[in-house]
Amino acid sequence: MLLEIGIALLLAKLLGFLFDKLKQPAVIGEILTGIVVGPFIAGELFGMNYISSVTEGLGEMGIILLLFISGLEIGVDEIKAAGKKGMLTSLFDVSIAFLFGVIAGHVLGYDIRTSIAIGNIMVATSVGITVRTLMEMNALHSKVGELILTVAVLDDVLGIIVLSITLGTGEISVLLLKILIFFLIFLGFVIAIKKMKGVKIGIPRFVLTSAISFAFIFSAVAVDLGLAAVTGAFFAGLIFSNLPQRRRIDEFVRQMGEIFFIPLFFIWVGASFDFNALGNMGNLVLLFIPMALVGKIVGCSAGAKICGFKARDALAVGVGMMPRMEVALIVVSIEMSMGTFNATLAHQVLAATILLVIISSIITPPLLKIVYREEGE
Amino acid sequence: MAQYSIVNPQEIHEKKIKDIIDKKQIWNLPMVEKDADVETVLSILTSRDHVWVVEERGSKKLCGLITESDILRLIAPPRLPKYVFGKKYSISLQYGTARKASDIMHKQLITCSPDDDVGNVLARMVNAMIRRCPVVENGEIVGEITVHYILQILLGKR
Repeated sequence: MLLEIGIALLLAKLLGFLFDKLKQPAVIGEILTGIVVGPFIAGELFGMNYISSVTEGLGEMGIILLLFISGLEIGVDEIKAAGKKGMLTSLFDVSIAFLFGVIAGHVLGYDIRTSIAIGNIMVATSVGITVRTLMEMNALHSKVGELILTVAVLDDVLGIIVLSITLGTGEISVLLLKILIFFLIFLGFVIAIKKMKGVKIGIPRFVLTSAISFAFIFSAVAVDLGLAAVTGAFFAGLIFSNLPQRRRIDEFVRQMGEIFFIPLFFIWVGASFDFNALGNMGNLVLLFIPMALVGKIVGCSAGAKICGFKARDALAVGVGMMPRMEVALIVVSIEMSMGTFNATLAHQVLAATILLVIISSIITPPLLKIVYREEGE
Repeated sequence: MAQYSIVNPQEIHEKKIKDIIDKKQIWNLPMVEKDADVETVLSILTSRDHVWVVEERGSKKLCGLITESDILRLIAPPRLPKYVFGKKYSISLQYGTARKASDIMHKQLITCSPDDDVGNVLARMVNAMIRRCPVVENGEIVGEITVHYILQILLGKR
């Protein structure tokens, strides 16, 4: 296991760098590393055994850190600054993308719980690919670019909330009460942190330790309330985004996460890729991927159109929102660990999501370049 | 013989911030309003290494800080990290998303008050890895502690 982790980390770094040079997300390099070191390639050839409870556990720590960073970098201020257009478009975006997933699941004959899980996977756009594409097109500052960015940021937040609501089991009233309790705890901490800004604690690096420990404590509280651990981690990040030490916490957690824990999660995702699942998943892929892509186009374009964008610009917003990456993979792994899918289906959905990640990040840049028109043209 | 003699740092540590802050300092603080355009910010930074961002022109209500290293990040070729969240990494001079002072400033600042001990403030600056600390009274900036300023006191020039 030690050797496997060592080799996988190094390979992930190299493949990640290679993908970055090819203008593709480094995360795909990390997933490919997982496929290489997993049971079907390195496992067959060299008897390597990457999948274990330890690597899975380290990957789970990676998810917690990733969502904590997400909350910390998005921050309460960015959510507040979203504006009406951003909010409205995100609401359309999230609800329609989710609905398209649920419909895809239903058409494929899955039960409602499974269909909802597929809906969850389709919600969150990857900001990284979107920003990269907008930069290439020199459209980051345009009205379309600005709306895409705002909506991509908000749908991370809404995606986490949708996931939390749909993961919960039992009476809807009890579930809503639990979510309310969670938000009250969250608000309590936001206020407490604001009040404590001026308090000086003489213990060196106390704020860094408390940031990490709160990410885990909040995750545990979320799990206890029947929500996902990542919800806790994300909101812990939002709480700490109010501190003057935000940037230092961010740099520290990013280093720790980016170098060690987070790649291990994406490698674990790749290593869980089951080649046997590929044979029998034609229908799933044929419906899952187009629905994921079209759902975003329909949802975001409708939202943008209602907000006063011209039809073509609204379409560009929809196309720009197609990429899925980190959060989609995290949602799959959560649904898998919750036992939402049976064993065969779990591997098929994971494979389909990995394909969605790759396909969406390959086709979005050229499609966006076709659809997007510079302002004033 | 050396031109200046070094004051024992412990003597400085025991003083209060208000005892070492020059009353005239406030007139010379680099300040800009948060709605100022990025060109104004850049032109101030050609001769200063940081600028405090205040609510509006003539106000001293502190709301941010822009340092030369922030500007370096804006000028260097934009580089996205592996995992991107929020808009932080899309603020760029090259792509026209850095327009106003408020787009590029640090919003949450580590501050000190005139009644703080200098030693504590310096320790806090080391701990937080910051090189300048605003002196704030009732939300308004009344001075600043920078490495240059402390050096001048250490060498008895103030």
